[in-house]
Amino acid sequence: MSTVIKLEQLKKIYSLGKVKVEALKGVSFEVEEGEFVSIMGPSGSGKSTLMHIIGCLDYPSEGKYFLAKQDVTRLSDDQLALFRNKKIGFVFQQFNLLPRATNLRNVEIPLIYAGIPFRERQKQTLQALQDVGLSHRAQHRPNEISGGEKQRVAIARALVGNPSIILADEPTGNLDSKTGQEIMNIFQNLNQKGNTIILVTHEREVAHYARRIIYIKDGLINKDEVLV
Amino acid sequence: MILQGLQIALESLWSNKMRSFLSMLGIVIGVGAVIAIVSVGTGSTQQVTSRIADLGSNMITIYPRALRGQFGRLSSDSSQWKFTLELAEHIEIFCPSVKRVIPIKQLNGRLISDEANINTTVAGTTVDYTEVNNYEVAQGVFISEEDNRERRQVIVLGSQTAVDLFEDDNPIGESVKLNYNGRIFQFTVIGVMKEKGGSMAGNLDEWGYIPLLVAMDRLTAHRYVDSIVAQAYSSETANNAVKEIEYFLKKYLKDENGEQFRIMSQDEILDTVSSVTNTMSMMLGGIAAISLLVGGIGIMNIMLVSVTERTREIGIRKALGARNKNILFQFLMESLSLSSLGGVAGVGFGWIATYFLSQYGNWPFIISTISVIVAFGFALFIGIFFGLYPAMKAAKMNPVDALRYE
Repeated sequence: MSTVIKLEQLKKIYSLGKVKVEALKGVSFEVEEGEFVSIMGPSGSGKSTLMHIIGCLDYPSEGKYFLAKQDVTRLSDDQLALFRNKKIGFVFQQFNLLPRATNLRNVEIPLIYAGIPFRERQKQTLQALQDVGLSHRAQHRPNEISGGEKQRVAIARALVGNPSIILADEPTGNLDSKTGQEIMNIFQNLNQKGNTIILVTHEREVAHYARRIIYIKDGLINKDEVLV
Repeated sequence: MILQGLQIALESLWSNKMRSFLSMLGIVIGVGAVIAIVSVGTGSTQQVTSRIADLGSNMITIYPRALRGQFGRLSSDSSQWKFTLELAEHIEIFCPSVKRVIPIKQLNGRLISDEANINTTVAGTTVDYTEVNNYEVAQGVFISEEDNRERRQVIVLGSQTAVDLFEDDNPIGESVKLNYNGRIFQFTVIGVMKEKGGSMAGNLDEWGYIPLLVAMDRLTAHRYVDSIVAQAYSSETANNAVKEIEYFLKKYLKDENGEQFRIMSQDEILDTVSSVTNTMSMMLGGIAAISLLVGGIGIMNIMLVSVTERTREIGIRKALGARNKNILFQFLMESLSLSSLGGVAGVGFGWIATYFLSQYGNWPFIISTISVIVAFGFALFIGIFFGLYPAMKAAKMNPVDALRYE
């Protein structure tokens, strides 16, 4: 087991005019390969900020962040884009699929930016759709399928580049509880196959699908709990 | 990356068909207008040029300067009386590039037939007049050397003059009266000319032609003519002929500054005409280019809307690993596709417009290649120039903010 994520005294300070808001006040933790971690906290706790930094979408103000053993706080915009492309698979609450593209084209996007040739891309894309049980929806567009199916397409898109971590931000937030359960089962399955998953949520039941929960409150870790 | 950017761009343009079409329209009209205007200019210039060439081959016309008085007094130094038949002969002898000269005496009078009478111009001239002017006889014969020498009172009618005087009847052999300066002269019609149309001197179809010596000795007692037409051996020697005539006349008329005569050559007229038409088509083409520019601003406007509208898409693409230059390229490709598709359609539009205009205006259908290249190139440049700012705006977006955008 190697460490995939290592945070050291991570701080994020937003300056809104003269007022400075400390969203993160020094967060440190590590995530090992193959873990399933929930980051839980009420809204305004700083968990979204944390997720953006873990997802290489934003820079921390202070502290260090190692992703796959590399310090990403020193990287340029382009290098961060490369890390997002290769190391991270995003699943969003709003699904964030491109409405005009077919599901196949949506899942394909990370591979296009990775510069993978067409045939190989096609193969991997179809495999990812098959993994979430949606090969029959490949040529449909996002507005032609249900919410649960949309989220499964999004999971396929997160999986397709074979990233180091899958980062899910409230993945069940826009789904009914039954569909939410199905989605969470998919995450559990993926975790059992060896994928590292980080889940950001404010819902206790959802968080409990993970094997470890990190509680965030007011920009600090409140509790780091391993579930049995 | 280019192909992939192009594919994304085309897909997005296709999904907004109406908007893409409308923003393209500015470019289509701009490019089409530039091509049509410049091409029509080229075609009509060519038509005018060939018409001028039709007027006569290698013709140089020499006029005396008009009488010009100073302070209300007529200048005593008028040169008109110096334009004698001897002068014409001397030009032919002393200017080696000149093949022959035709003196012309122009008179205004009233031609009267049994049926009608018209005010017209009667030109006294010689047998070579037809050849120098590319002018042919339709019926009968033209004035011969003998007619001239014998001072026979014969007349050849322009096509319109013949119709005016005789309608549909055959005028050959008929007699007409010429009222000149209150005196009546009897003429016999020996020929009718083919249709010719306008010339430098006026509409030749509305003229009548009589032997030069009749005009000079019988109708008037003038020793001078109104103009002398010189024909050069070839179009290559025409310019030499002009110089020789000028040199000769300055010496002969003792007129160092060339104030007493005026020489008009075809080249000179061609230059004037083509410089006028070129200026016109450049100016109109410039106006059309402005509409291209406005089209470019339209594209920029649409691209800015498109970038704002697709903020979320930009965020998603960035989250999935798109680098700034991927996004820049995607939007640049989109504006470039808009302008180049618009450019292609504009070339087609300009082509069709030129075709119909040339049919309508009866001039040759010529597409100016330069205008196609310049207009299309300008359209591409506009696509890049006006697409760059929106594309840079898209590329610079912060992924977190872009993802949050509703």
